[in-house]
Amino acid sequence: MRKFIKLVDQSLGFSLICAMSAILLTVIWQVISRFILKDPASVTEELSRFILIWVGILGSAYAYRKKSHLGFNLIVDRQTKATRRMLLTIVEVLVITFSALALIVGGKELVIITLDLDQISASLGIRMGFIYTVLPISGALFVFYSLINIYNLWIADPEEPL
Amino acid sequence: MEMTAIVLVVVFFALLLINVPISICIGLSTMLVMLINIDTLPALATVAQRMAGGLNSFALLAIPFFVLSGLLMGRGGIAKRLIECAMALIGALPGGLALVNVVSCMLFGAISGSAVAATSAIGSFMLPEMKKAGYDPNFSAAVTAAASTTGMLIPPSNILIVYAIASGGVSIAALFMAGYLPGIMVGLALMLVCYVYAKRKGYPLSDRLPLSVVATKVLAAIPSLFLIFLIIGGIVGGIFTATEAGAIAVVYALMLSVGFYREVKVKELPEILLKSAETTAIVMLLIAASTAMSWVLSIENIPQALSEFMLDISDNPIIILLLINLLLIAVGAFLDMTPAVLIFTPIFLPVAEQLGMSPIQFGIMIVLNLSIGLCSPPVGAVLFITCAIAKTKLEEIIKPLLPLYVAMFFVLMLVTYFPWFSEAIPAMFGFIER
Repeated sequence: MRKFIKLVDQSLGFSLICAMSAILLTVIWQVISRFILKDPASVTEELSRFILIWVGILGSAYAYRKKSHLGFNLIVDRQTKATRRMLLTIVEVLVITFSALALIVGGKELVIITLDLDQISASLGIRMGFIYTVLPISGALFVFYSLINIYNLWIADPEEPL
Repeated sequence: MEMTAIVLVVVFFALLLINVPISICIGLSTMLVMLINIDTLPALATVAQRMAGGLNSFALLAIPFFVLSGLLMGRGGIAKRLIECAMALIGALPGGLALVNVVSCMLFGAISGSAVAATSAIGSFMLPEMKKAGYDPNFSAAVTAAASTTGMLIPPSNILIVYAIASGGVSIAALFMAGYLPGIMVGLALMLVCYVYAKRKGYPLSDRLPLSVVATKVLAAIPSLFLIFLIIGGIVGGIFTATEAGAIAVVYALMLSVGFYREVKVKELPEILLKSAETTAIVMLLIAASTAMSWVLSIENIPQALSEFMLDISDNPIIILLLINLLLIAVGAFLDMTPAVLIFTPIFLPVAEQLGMSPIQFGIMIVLNLSIGLCSPPVGAVLFITCAIAKTKLEEIIKPLLPLYVAMFFVLMLVTYFPWFSEAIPAMFGFIER
């Protein structure tokens, strides 16, 4: 299990590094093509926007794994250990609810609708449905990491969390 | 409509209090309202669509770039050189180190887009220095937190880009120009407080450096300062967009930190890219969820209702603007800046415009206002970072923060009631007609 989690973490991290580099290269290419080649590239704007959606949504799951989303922890931190554990578990259940409903179910529905309508992006000619697949993927990762957090709260050895 | 508003507010706060991440609080309460109003599947798909749609903007791309260049500059020795330059110039004044802290934050704000980057880059260097020199760590932490928010106004600024999108198309270049003067004014006001505080406490003066040393330190900072001219000159001159300027800033910061100063190794780059993707994603999820919430509010006509309500309270612009400011300060204390701008701009901007305020002035006002929230409890990102670096408790730094809040509020009032402060510079460059 530990190995599998590590594999997921690393693949996610690697994808994000690639995506960040891709955004940077795309926009640099846009600048070069406009100033030096005097022949502005038409696809770079759209491509970089689409990668940003991926970095934003997929990266959110990564940030969730790293517990770096902003929150208000003053009250929770002042509770006894048992209450704190209960509250943190409720939070994880809420995160799972949101990810499962909005990102997985809603995202999947959105992918199906846009694929059905055959919406095509203006300059790249990509079917928009594919861009939105990041929503259910990220939703699944959120649920996965949330379950790990719950496991860590109740079962795992606090010295060696998953 | 009332139902929607009540559900949104109550659910949001309930979730916030038990430490659900803010972006998820916004997303969940929005989703709940959608589920109450329309059928399940379309409701969920709409939330998903609004979230993804909120990120589909070329202007937002500037944010990962300024995050990345900020990280590179923090680690690549650029922040250090800016601090040394400031130290050489004003370090010998009473309260010198506190003044250096403020100026460094302003300079760092002028080359990176985020307060959080400034806090960690400047704070991790200045806080130990100030402690060594005998400054009260709580005061030092308070100064760093307040000063880092000047970077929100001094361009390039990620939050002004977010505002440009929320306001429906105010020019980013004009906003950037507008931010300079108020940003510098906040910096000067904070420095005044530091000066008085240090004099009263009788902190020891540092020795004045010989002129040759001053010259060397200033010269060493010039390649870093050149970035300001490159980015702002390019944007204001209409040569490139804010996003392209961001990409250029990354390339320049890479060249400086990896090539010229050699303080960042090539093998560290993947980790820096990953860190910047993480920071970007945190902001992006906030933007995605806030866009969805803002959309729900607008289809429920809540902005119109609220602005009618506000204009009913009084027809005196001075009172209404004060009211808006007080409300925003309360909002800023609980909500992070990005969602606050995205959700409250559509609500308050129409009111402000009815009172004759320009969208540019309003943008500067809302950002300055929320900057106070950024360094105030209970939810202030910058505050937590400085406390962590200074190894002090949140409760301890509230007292030294109070005079700094007063200074910021004073500038806020000037910006609110005198359009000149935000409009003079954009007008000078022909962005607005006066």
